[in-house]
Parts: sequence; structure tokens; C-alpha cells
Amino acid sequence: MKSKFIIRNILAVAVVAMASCKPEFKEVTPNKGTADFTRYIAVGNSLTAGYADGGLYLEGQQNSYPEMISGQMKTVGGGAFYSSFFNTNQADGSGYLRIKSLSASGLPVTETVTGNLAVRGQITLPQVGAVTLYTKFSGDLNNYGVPGIRLTDIDNPAYGNANGFFERLLPAASPGNTTSYLSFITAKPWTFFSLWLGNNDALGYATSGGVGGVLTDKARFSSVYNTVAAALTGTGAKGIVATIPDVLATPYFNTVTLASLLAAVRVSAPTVQALYIQTATGTRAATAQDYFVLTLGSANVIGVPNGAGLPYGLHPLNPIESKYVLDQAEAAQVTDYVNTYNATIKSVAAAKGLALMDAYALLKEYGAGKTVNGATVSAAYITGNLFSLDGIHLTPLGYAIVANAFIKSINTQYGASIPIVDVTKYRGVKFP
Amino acid sequence: MKKKLLIFLLGLPFLGYSQSFQVNLQGQKQIAMGGAGTGAALDEAAVFFNPGAVSFLKQNGVQAGISPIFLKTSFREAGSNITEHNKDKIATPVMGYAVFGSPAGRLRFGLGIYTPFGGAMHWDENWTGKYTVTSLDLRAIFVQPTVSYKITDHLGIGAGLVYSNGHVDLRRAVPLTLNNGQSGTGKLEGSTNDFGWNAGIYVETISGVSIGVTHRSSVNARVKSGTATFDVPDALISSFPTKFTATLPLPATSTIGFGFYPSEKTTIVFDVNWVRWSKYKDLSFDYDNNARIPDTKSPRNYHDAAALRLGIQNQTTAKLVLRAGVGYAFTPVGEGYVTPEVPDADRLLLSAGLGYKASKNFSVDLSFLYENVKARTETNIETNLNGSFKSLVYIPGIALTYKW
Repeated sequence: MKSKFIIRNILAVAVVAMASCKPEFKEVTPNKGTADFTRYIAVGNSLTAGYADGGLYLEGQQNSYPEMISGQMKTVGGGAFYSSFFNTNQADGSGYLRIKSLSASGLPVTETVTGNLAVRGQITLPQVGAVTLYTKFSGDLNNYGVPGIRLTDIDNPAYGNANGFFERLLPAASPGNTTSYLSFITAKPWTFFSLWLGNNDALGYATSGGVGGVLTDKARFSSVYNTVAAALTGTGAKGIVATIPDVLATPYFNTVTLASLLAAVRVSAPTVQALYIQTATGTRAATAQDYFVLTLGSANVIGVPNGAGLPYGLHPLNPIESKYVLDQAEAAQVTDYVNTYNATIKSVAAAKGLALMDAYALLKEYGAGKTVNGATVSAAYITGNLFSLDGIHLTPLGYAIVANAFIKSINTQYGASIPIVDVTKYRGVKFP
Repeated sequence: MKKKLLIFLLGLPFLGYSQSFQVNLQGQKQIAMGGAGTGAALDEAAVFFNPGAVSFLKQNGVQAGISPIFLKTSFREAGSNITEHNKDKIATPVMGYAVFGSPAGRLRFGLGIYTPFGGAMHWDENWTGKYTVTSLDLRAIFVQPTVSYKITDHLGIGAGLVYSNGHVDLRRAVPLTLNNGQSGTGKLEGSTNDFGWNAGIYVETISGVSIGVTHRSSVNARVKSGTATFDVPDALISSFPTKFTATLPLPATSTIGFGFYPSEKTTIVFDVNWVRWSKYKDLSFDYDNNARIPDTKSPRNYHDAAALRLGIQNQTTAKLVLRAGVGYAFTPVGEGYVTPEVPDADRLLLSAGLGYKASKNFSVDLSFLYENVKARTETNIETNLNGSFKSLVYIPGIALTYKW
């Protein structure tokens, strides 16, 4: 009798102890510090819109860094946050790339997803050319990311007619818009902003091998950057600005290399010693200091004879076209401009007391290879998990790493403690 | 009396045990006394605790027991406001011992089956550390035939050969995204068959204090042909391995233990363990196909570590024995090496238990062990997983004994 009682008591104690006690940590109370996140707006380009895999589509929009940051800001009084999501029945948006298969060398064979596009038409504008137009979005908006926009475009009242992604957000149909991007984003009051513009002021020039697009004049960049920063802080709002990543460190410029091209050529022509490229100063043999663009890999042009029977790229009289090559001089120019742009951004941040997310340093650090919660990420094309299939824009995992860098800088600058996102919840490159 | 007992059970610090993936659940009486028992001839579990004491057991007997482990671990990533918990998955180490021979004679024989190493850690398949580990099931069951010889009436020696049968099942997410948006997964599963030994000396001194010294050898648990199963994208599967080899060193443990007998009815036991964890330098996996993933060599760099265990038992009535214990185990895991499969730290052990003699031959022993593993916040040097771990362990146990 007595022993039964004792046993019962022991069991009771044991069961209670086991059922009740999961170890807990000291309660964390996120706080907003000196900032006010009631209405956060995200100003930027494709990276801000969530552009990935060569297109803007719903999944990318949902995994944009402003969506992630705003979700975390809700723990410290952040308000509702809206992005210009495509409808689910038009979830493929502009269309985007996916991997169809892998080639023998491990490079992806891509195809474009076009099942449920949000394309509503096309218009041809003088001096601009064809502009694809998308299903209009109306409604509250906090994510003002517009793919393709340069800093130098933001005060141009006609820009909304030339960029289909911006036109989509404006009330009038192209070519009837007269609202500049700067006017558009400042129309409604805000309490906090992120500003990540400037990438496209160098990107267009770089990705076209120096053929299309021009580098925005340095003085012009500084002038417009000061204008937008003044406008965004003019009402007393706090915010964060971000530097421009090193475009030359992306897979777009490091996947197809002189070595990989020569190796491919030598399979059938073992004696080939050099590839010839067209540059601003004439045709010459390529060196390891010249960058080849990602799209050269799938263009299948190397070695194809021209009318005179000269193989493409293998003969000085039939060189690789400039559009496929960012030669050493052009690359140096891009580096110089990006460094100057970033110096401007940093000085504006310091002068205005804004938080700074150094995307240049961040993507250099992760691009060089880094283990994140057990997952290795790097700038390696498709296997690095950081960059999406277009080789320039990020994967959801890459955007999550960026989001946490924004959050950490905001926390440091404003004494806040916005919780970070769990980067492992976000995917890398999808494989078939 | 009943109330007193309950207060006793609730209020007193009781015993404890365990360190990293070493499991110290080898006898219910000893568990209830903080895991101590090397310096006393308590029962059949002396086959494990001190083969030299087996020849001092007054009766022959067989016992079988089980100690289900309820492990509760929490993790919070640095900078996050979310606490993640491991899954409620119970590991069930079993133990069984038999002692034969003439209690009047000098030579005795024993057989022990126990689980000195193991672990069961299961995280959510999509947790923050999924790329480091999602689950680990590890167990090494030792079978130990033993000979014990009483050289004099006060000095005994004993030794046993250990056959170790191990099983490991390690799973983690692979940072490659499947077409459905989920991450890939990998599973490494294998078994081991290895040998070791266990030897001990037992002395009953003139002062009345008994002393035991034992050494359990290390065992290299070698997975010679483990199965590697990867769920990764079809386009990549052919570049993944299907077989692996690995070795997990199970460290040697040296122990000195004392038994004190302040009264006829009271025994106090005290053990000091020294575990040679420094043998565990790294966890390496060699794969049969390195096209996509290289062989891995994860640094562990454990250092040798001690555990202190103190226990008391009291023959409260003719049929009832009460036990309690306390222990402290120092972690062998250095800063930067804490991993989510074994989030080890210094731990405090409290234990209690009782024995009830139901009949002349038959008795039952109950134990309850509580382990409080200190919180630990750091960044793993290999995976960069940065956050805090905290574990609590609850281990009830029961053993049935038949003596003749």
C-alpha cells in the first residue's frame, strides 16, 4: 500500500516535470529604437522589386528584401506593407528563366516560363523603341522597386512611359504619363525609407559589354543622389541607404571565361592558342583580364565561320563582338564609376545620419564563399545559391542575406532590435 | 511518512549523468545515486561499474532495466526572436546484467548488455540549422562477458571483453533546391561492429571504506560501408555518393570510486570519471562519389573531461531503499564546437530513486534523473550557426531484478 503510494508520487512528479519543462530563454522584446516604422517605403530598382531569374514574377516579388524587412518590422510597430504583386493567374509576370536541363559541363540549359504572363501589350515610342506593358496595379504601395530604373531617371517626368514596370504602377497608359519616379514615391507620407538606387547607372553599360547604355556622369549621380536623399529625409523620416554591388563579381561576368572558352574550342581544335575580341581600340587577343558575359555561353557562336570562312572568335578578322566582352579598359571604367558612386552614397549617408547597408562589401564577402547556418553560398553560377539564373539578381536566399544586412544596419544606427529573418527558410536556385 | 517521502523526493538534490554522447544509464540503483557506484559492490550492474566488485556480490542474479530519455532542447538564433524546440522523441537505452558462480567461491562470472554511448536528437525538418543536422540517432550497445576473481577477502579484480554493436542515422538538409522549392535532404546510415574491454579493481580497506578503480577502453566505431541516401534534384543525383565510411571514436573512461558506510543501513558512493574525449578530433565522412560533395572533415577537437558523482542510499525499511544523488559533468566541447546534434555544455545532475523488495527473490528499482545542461551561446566555427542552446533532460527508469 505504502509503496504504491510512493511510486505514484514519484511518477506524478516525473510526469509533471517532463511535460512542463521545455527550456526557455530570456524573453526578447524587439524595439524600434529611435526610428518609426509606421510607414516604411522601399525605393529602388529590380533588386528592390524582387526581380530574379531574368524576370519579375510573383514568387520573386513575395521574396523581395523589403517584404522580408517589413515582416520583421511588424514586431516593432511596423505598419502594413504592400508590394505590386502580380495576380495569381498572372503569376509569371514578365516571364522568367528556369533550368530545363544541365549540359555535360554542368552549365544549365534554360528556358523561359511564359505560361501566365501579366503582359497587356506593347508600344513603340520614338527614341525609346518597343516597351512591353504589363497589367496595371492600383492600390496601396510601399515597395517602389522598379526594375531597370537608373538613378538618373528618377526626375524624368516622361520615364513612366518608357519603363513598363513603372508604367504599370502609374494611373495613365503610356505615353500619357507625366509623373516622375521621385514625385511618385513622395506623394504619400512615410516614416522610414530604404534607398537602393544606382546599380543600373553602371549595369546597363557593363552587361552590354560597353555597347549599350552609358555610365551615368559622376557629377550627375552625386547631384541626383543628394536630391533624392534630401527629399526622403526632408519630412524628418529616418532611413537606410545601400551601396552598389560590384557587378564584375557577379556570375554574369565570371561564368564564361577565356579559359572555359578555350577549353571548349580545344576539344575539336587542340591547336587554338587565342581568342580575338573587338574593343574600342581595335581587335586583339583576349586576356584573363577581359570579362565575357554569361549570354555568350548559350549563344553558340564561337567557331562558326563567317562568309569568308573565318571562324568566329578564332581569327582576328572575325573577332568576338564587343557586346559579348567587357574588355579590360571597359571593366576598369566600370570599377572606377562604381567606386565613385559608392563614395557618394557613403558620404550622403554620413551627412544625413542615415544607416548604411554596404552591399558592395556584403556581396563580395558572401560571393567569395561563406557558410551560412551550414549551407555554403558563393558567387558560383547556379551552385552558389546566392545569384539567380540571370547571374546578376539574387535568389530568395540571397535576398534574405541582404534583408538581414539591412536589418542589422538599421538596428545599429537607430538603437533598434528588429529580429533577423531565418535565411534557411528561403530557397536557392531551383533544379529540375 | 508519505509526506516526508514526497518532500524528500522533491527537495533533495538527487543524482545524475551523461556527457556529450556518452550515456551514463547503466544501472537503476547507480542512476538514482548520481551515476556513482564504482567503489561499491551494489548489484549485478557491477559488471559495468566495476568488474572487480562482481566477485563481492552476495547473491547471484539477473536484472533488466530501461531508462527512456526525454530530451528537451531549445535553440534561438542570434538576433532572432524565435525559439525553436527539438521534437519529442524518446531514446530508450536498455540494460541487462547477469551474475553467476558460487557466491562463496572466489571466481564469478558476469554478462552485461548496456548502452554507454548514444543520442537521439530530432529537429524540425525545416529548422534554422537544417543544413547542419535535422536528426541524429546514435547508439552503441555493448555486450560484455566478464570474469571476476576475489584474490583475497578484501581485494578483487575483474575484466570483461566488450563487443560493440553500433548504429548511426544522421540526416540533414542539403542546400540544393528541388523543383518544388524544398531543399534536398541527405541521410547517412550505417552500423558498426567493434571490440573493447573493461577492467577493474575493488578493495575493501581496513578503515571500512571501499575503493574501486576501473578503466573502460576506447572503441573505434567504424562504419565500413554505410548507406548514403540523397533526395536531391534529378539532374544532379548521379553526381551524389551512395556509400560512405566513417569512424566515431568512443572514448575511454577511467574511474575511481569510493564507498562509505556511515551506518549499517546507509551507503554513500562517490565517483570521479575521467573521459578521454580528446580522441574525438573530427567527424569525417568519406564518400564513394565526390563529383558534387567532397569528403567532409568536421572539426570537433573535444578535450578530456571529468564528471563528479555523489550518491546515497538508505535502507529505510526491510523492503524499501531510498536513494538520491547529485553530479556535475564538465563538457568536453570547446568554444566554437557546439553542434546541434549534441549541444553539450556543463551539466548538473540531480537524481532520486527507490528500491522495493517485493519478495525474497524479486525486487524492483526505480530511478529518476534530471539533467540541467547550461545554456550556451556561440558561433560554430564550421557551420557559422550562431545562437543559444539550452537543454533539460528527464530520465525515469525501472529495473526488475531476480536474485537467487
